[in-house]
Formats: sequence, structure tokens, C-alpha cells
Amino acid sequence: MSKRIAKELSDCTTSPPPGISITLPSDSDLHKWHVTLTPSPTSIYAGGTFGLVVTLPPDFPFRAPHIVFSTRIYHPNVTNDAAGNICLGLLKDENWKPGSRLRGVLEAVRGLLDEPNPDDPLEPRIADEFRREREVFDKNARAHVVSYAKGKPSFVVAAPAPAASGKEGKGGKA
Amino acid sequence: MADIDTLETPRDVELSTLKAIYPEIQQVRTDDPYTISLDIPVAPSSPVVVFFPAVGDAAPVAGPSNGNHVGNGTNGLHVDSHEVAHLPSLHLEISFGPDYPADEPPRVTISAHPPWLPRETIAKLEDDAPRLWEEMGRDMVGFTYIDHIQQSGDTVFGLVDEKGALEVDPQHKIAILDYDIKAQHAAFERQTFDCGVCLDPKKGAVCHKMNDCGHVFCVPCLQDFYNAAIQQGDLAAVRCPAFGCAKEREKLGNNKRKKPRTYINPSELLQIPLDVDVVRRYVSLKYKTELESDKNTIYCPRQWCNGAARSKKHKKPEGFELAEMSDDEGSDKEDGDTKPYKPVEDLLAICEDCHFAFCARCFQSWHGEFFRCLPPSQKGMPTAEELASLDYINHHSTACPTCASRTQKTHGCNHMICYRCQTHFCYLCAAWLEPGNPYQHFNELPNGKATPCYMRLWELEEGDGSEVDDAENHARPPMPGAGPVAGHPEPEIEEPAEDAVDHEINAIFHAVAAANQGVGAPQPELLGADVGIAREGPLVLRIAANPPAGVGRGGPRGRRAAPPAAAGGGRGGAGARGRVARGGQRGRGAAAADRPRQNNQGDQAPRGGGQQQQGQQQQQRRINRRGGDGPLEAEDGELDAAQQAWVRQFVQLALNDEEEEEEEDENEFHHLVLMD
Repeated sequence: MSKRIAKELSDCTTSPPPGISITLPSDSDLHKWHVTLTPSPTSIYAGGTFGLVVTLPPDFPFRAPHIVFSTRIYHPNVTNDAAGNICLGLLKDENWKPGSRLRGVLEAVRGLLDEPNPDDPLEPRIADEFRREREVFDKNARAHVVSYAKGKPSFVVAAPAPAASGKEGKGGKA
Repeated sequence: MADIDTLETPRDVELSTLKAIYPEIQQVRTDDPYTISLDIPVAPSSPVVVFFPAVGDAAPVAGPSNGNHVGNGTNGLHVDSHEVAHLPSLHLEISFGPDYPADEPPRVTISAHPPWLPRETIAKLEDDAPRLWEEMGRDMVGFTYIDHIQQSGDTVFGLVDEKGALEVDPQHKIAILDYDIKAQHAAFERQTFDCGVCLDPKKGAVCHKMNDCGHVFCVPCLQDFYNAAIQQGDLAAVRCPAFGCAKEREKLGNNKRKKPRTYINPSELLQIPLDVDVVRRYVSLKYKTELESDKNTIYCPRQWCNGAARSKKHKKPEGFELAEMSDDEGSDKEDGDTKPYKPVEDLLAICEDCHFAFCARCFQSWHGEFFRCLPPSQKGMPTAEELASLDYINHHSTACPTCASRTQKTHGCNHMICYRCQTHFCYLCAAWLEPGNPYQHFNELPNGKATPCYMRLWELEEGDGSEVDDAENHARPPMPGAGPVAGHPEPEIEEPAEDAVDHEINAIFHAVAAANQGVGAPQPELLGADVGIAREGPLVLRIAANPPAGVGRGGPRGRRAAPPAAAGGGRGGAGARGRVARGGQRGRGAAAADRPRQNNQGDQAPRGGGQQQQGQQQQQRRINRRGGDGPLEAEDGELDAAQQAWVRQFVQLALNDEEEEEEEDENEFHHLVLMD
């Protein structure tokens, strides 16, 4: 399936989706992408530049890609730590469809910066703040942009991406 | 003279022209190059609705090609109609005689197989040949005529009425529909599609069009995907791989059904084609999942069989047919759970696999309807291994609040989705979570209050189980107000242990009550937990029937302890499950408090480690403490001597023979008995 990945990559590099540019950290490994994300001008995160690390599982596209923020971001759906895990429905293994395209996935991640989804948060406190005290949230989010998201993004992620499994706890019959 | 030989006659010219235009033209007879045949496809410009009037409606006529007059399509009572895009082609034979074209028109014969065209229509088409020949001024008419037939095929030779309907004799129905399917398939195979999975353009011949939604994927991709999913038992993945497919269809057909079917029929998997064995596995897994998610399923008591009993609700699949499978599983779930009794006529159970007839209540061979029987008592102790296993399951997994399937978390947050029934629940307290906003449970509630799981979404992130680091593991269930954090030295907190005992007593009361009602058969998942209780059922019964003075108080007290447990567990009946099944926060806390001891003991004395042992420990610890603190009455004003005596007697009876093996505890126990 590396042919599909190559196709997706060339599709995303020849006509990149807005605000997204992709580099490969290693030319020989198509399964790891470094994505530089520029939020839309209307986003609260505008002015920052965010790094995303996309890891495609060996059996991609049968399993969901793993995407994390390598730049810290103050967002209800992204863990506010160096791991940068994202909560996005279509990235969950049980929702993933092999027909989903990476272009669409990356656009959806960028969409999260315009419209956080406080109903499905990874950071409940930030989600609460987003809902109740929008000014405080905006201030914090901008402060985070200034502290972390200026200049060229780094692509160093704290925790290695989990092998294949999704974010939700996985059940096995006990 | 030589010129004449080399000159091509007009019919030679025409013949070579026609062959160039229609390469499929064939010579009918080897000795006659001037008689050719050609199949002309009849593809109406838009699909026509073909009516097959029921036999009774059509006037009885002689001859097969009669009786297909164009009707108005609405007169018949039993009108069987199908939309058809391709009709069986016409077979055209043209013969150019020696005097053609100057003095002789071409001779044509037309036939259709099956003879679905009315005789008159065929005659008219055949007559068109000399007519056109005349119109052309007796010139070469071959191409014009063939083209004319093709063109009139667009309107099915004028047979289609103004409503776009065509009536055909029902005897040709199968042939016509069959032809249409084949023709469509052939058309599909000639097309090119971009497979949505590998993104490569593929010929239709190596593609499969999904029956329900029409998305097209290449066969190798579908095979890879579905084979892997079925191999891993991930049945939910066996659906159309297109992004957002189910949602789209939901929007389109929102008034037809609640939710469109997303699973794929086994017959379609075979069409793709998937290996027969894989499809067989898919069918049996589907059926198994269905049975297992239904708590009312009864299994064959023959140990070598364990098949499921026949059920009206779940039909055993025959071959590759899944009988009326529905996506909304367990819609009538409440049925079996609320009724304490099975109606007598429902007691006869017959195993699907070995056809053994048995009683669904006592699990003995079928004894007829008029034999009073009781649920089986648990004969023989579960082995130490089984107990240890049950203990592990109880500690390191959480039961789904809907289907009771147990889930062990390997990693991630505590918002779980049941692998079997897709219920959202909390891994810590097994509470049902609102699918729309499951994380609310871990946050402040709208009313400003918080659940005991407040801010604990990420506890046990590395998973739950003995292979996970112990410290992490033990951090699991310290609920507010529950037992002390495990790993700490023997706690001085009294309430939890006390409550745990109450829970246990309470649980036994429930079991007794249940036994009285004749329902005592423990739920399969509670088997180990209730073993001791069930076994001592009759004994306890006797005591309960003639309670000492204290029981009156002990009872209500026990019952008072139940509501928080039930509330914490988010489901009724938690009292009965109480301590063991972590239905309640307190019960669970106490269980957690016990865990380190349990673990230690498990290491040192692998023979033990069961639920009963645990109960024993709790009981003993309570008594120990009392022993240390002084007279029982002084410590707990609520229990008078009679009560205590009863409780002790009760516990002693309820505990099992393993006592002797617990040397250390045993001593303490005796010590206590002596003390009073």
C-alpha cells in the first residue's frame, strides 16, 4: 500500500490543502510525515505555526493514521503536554474508514483550530473554560501561541506513537 | 472480359463496408458469403419499466409470441414490474441476393431470444427493409437499415407507452431480467474506476460495487481489508470502506428506517469474492456475538457441547444466510431481566448444536412441564485456579452496564465503548455514559456537583492488569469515602470494612431473596462471586426464616447501605453484586483496599485467592480490629450481642472449608470466637 501513500503524499504536496505543508523526515520512510500547519487567519491560533507528526501504521489505510501536535497548543481537543494527542472522531480506530483521505484528515485537524469541539474534550478543564470563559480561554490560547508556536516548528514528540491501537481503551474479553 | 472478374460488385462493396463498421458480423453459411447475421443490442435511451402481468390477467392465447400487447400497465391487479436497462438483443439476418441492390431488396429475418418481441413488431421491422430500399431509390440499404433498427431500439420499437412502461409475457421474465443483469455487469466491467482504498484506476472487471451504497472498490483491496477484519474478529469494520458512507445514506433515507444497515451480507462477501472459510467465520462470529450480547441466551449443559439453545430471536444461520439480523441489538432487553420466572412453556430448551433437550431452569434433561425443579446449585468448589482467575477478572476488568461483557483496558482514557454493544461507559465505576457527551462524567456536572470520577479521565492510562506497573494499578479505585488507598499499611479507618461486610451480608440477603423466588441461579459473570452464597443457600434460608432479634436491625441496616452502592454502580441490583462486582463505590473501595493483601496472599499461597477468601479476610479484619479495640458493643453501638452472634454464626456457616488452609487467619478467627 506504499503506492497509496505515495499518491496521497504527492496529492498533498502538489496541490497542498490551505495552510498545510508536508515534509518527509526521511526520504526512505513514507510512513512518517512532518506537517507544518498554519491556522486560518480567523482562528484564535492565527500567527502561530504548528508542527504535526503523522505516523501511518504499517497496515495503512486499513488502520487510522496517528497524528500528534509536536508544538504545544492550548486546545480542548489536544492534550496540553509534550505528547500532543488529538481527539478527533475520524482518527479513532473504530471510526476509521480505509476510504478516508489524508488530505481530508489534515484539513479536519486544521478545522479543529477554527472550531474546537468542547463536547469531546481531551482537556476537560480547557473545554470548560472555552465554554464558560471565552475571554480567558482566548487569552491563554494566544499566550500559548506566543510561547510555543512562533518560528519554525519542531517535530520532536515526547511519547512515541503507540503501535497500532487507537486512543480509546481497547477491550478484550476478560 | 477480364475487367468483369476484377470489378467488385456493389454487394461486395457493401459487405466489406458493413464488416468494417460492425466487426462482429458473421457469415451464416460457409457457401454463401452474402448472407450475414448480426446481434443488435436493445438498450433503451432510459431504463424502461417492464411489466409482467400475472398469468391470469393475460388473455389465454396460443403461441408464445402472442399476448404481449402493450398494455397501460395499470389494469392488472398483480402487476410485477422491474426497471430494466438492457433488453435481449435482436438477431438480424440479412441476405443480399444476386440482383441486389438494383432489382432486389435485401431479405431480412429478425428474431429475438427469448421471443419477447410481439410478432407484429417483428413483421413491421422486417417490412422496413424493402420500404427503405425503395425510399433509397433501390440502392445499397444495408447500413441504413441496421442503423434504423438500432435507432428504433431506443424506444423499444415503439412498444413503450407514454408512461415509459413495457409489458412483456411473464414467461420471459427470468430470461429478460437475467439478460439485464448480465448486460449491466458487462457494462460495469468495461468501465474504469478509481478504487477508494488504493487510489489506483482499476477496470470494472476487477472491481466490486457495494450492493447497498454503490461505492466501488477494487477486489484486492476489499479482500485485504475484510479478510484482516474478520480474522481479527473486528466485525464492525466489515462495512463500506468509503468515508462517511453510512452518514450519507442516513441523510438520504432518513424517513425510511432509523438507521441504514451498515454491515455487509455474507452473500455479498462471497460475491467480492472472499474465501468461503472466511465468510463462514464471519457468519458464525456474527451469530455468536448476537447470542453473547443477549443475556437470556441459554447454553447447552453438556460440557462437550455448550451450544446455544434454540431461540426465536436469534436463528442459527444456515449456510451463509444470516437470519433477520438487525443492527439494533437487544431492543427488547428488559424482557428477560425483570421477570423472575420463565413461563413453564419456555423451559424446554433444545440445543442448536447437539439437539439435546433440557430444562432451562434446572439444566437437567427435559423432565416435562409438570415437574417442579430448582435452579442448579453449584456442586463442587471451583478450583483455586478458577477462583484466582475470577478474582483477577473482577479486579482488572469492568463490566459493560448494558451487556455485562467485561472489558480490560490496555491503555488510554477511562471513557470506554463496549466492544460488543457499543455502550459508552466509565472504566472506573462502570457507569453508563451519555454518548453525546461522555466526558461530562469526569467533569463538573451542570448542577455544580461532580461524580466520584471527577478529573480521573486519565487514571490507569497505561492499562489495567497485573502486567502493568503495580503502583499504577493500585491507584485505581480509591473512591471518595471508600477504602483507604491500597498499598498503605493496615488502615485504621473503620467504616469501609464495616460497610463491606454489610455489603456482603446485603448481598447474601439478596441472594436469599432471590433463592426464595427461585431465581437464585447466578448470572454467568457472577458465578465465582456468588458461588459460596449459592452453595449455602438453603442454610442461609433457614436462618433468615427464623431470625434472631438482631436481624431485624441488621437487615435494614444492610439495606440502607445498598442505595449508595446502587447509585454508584449506576444500575439496579448492585446490592447483590455489591462487593464483588464493584457495583458500588464503597464496595469497590473495600475491594481495592484488600487488593495488596490479596496479591500477597496469591503469591504466597496460590491455593487461595478467591472471592470467599476475600470475604473472609474482610470479615476477619473487622473482627480483628474489634478484638484490639475492646468489647464489641462498645465500639459499635448498633450491634448487640445477639446480632453479633448471629452475624458470626452466619459468616462461619457461609465461609467454606478452606478455613483450615488459612493458618494464620484461622488462628485469629478462633481467637475471636474464644474471646466472646
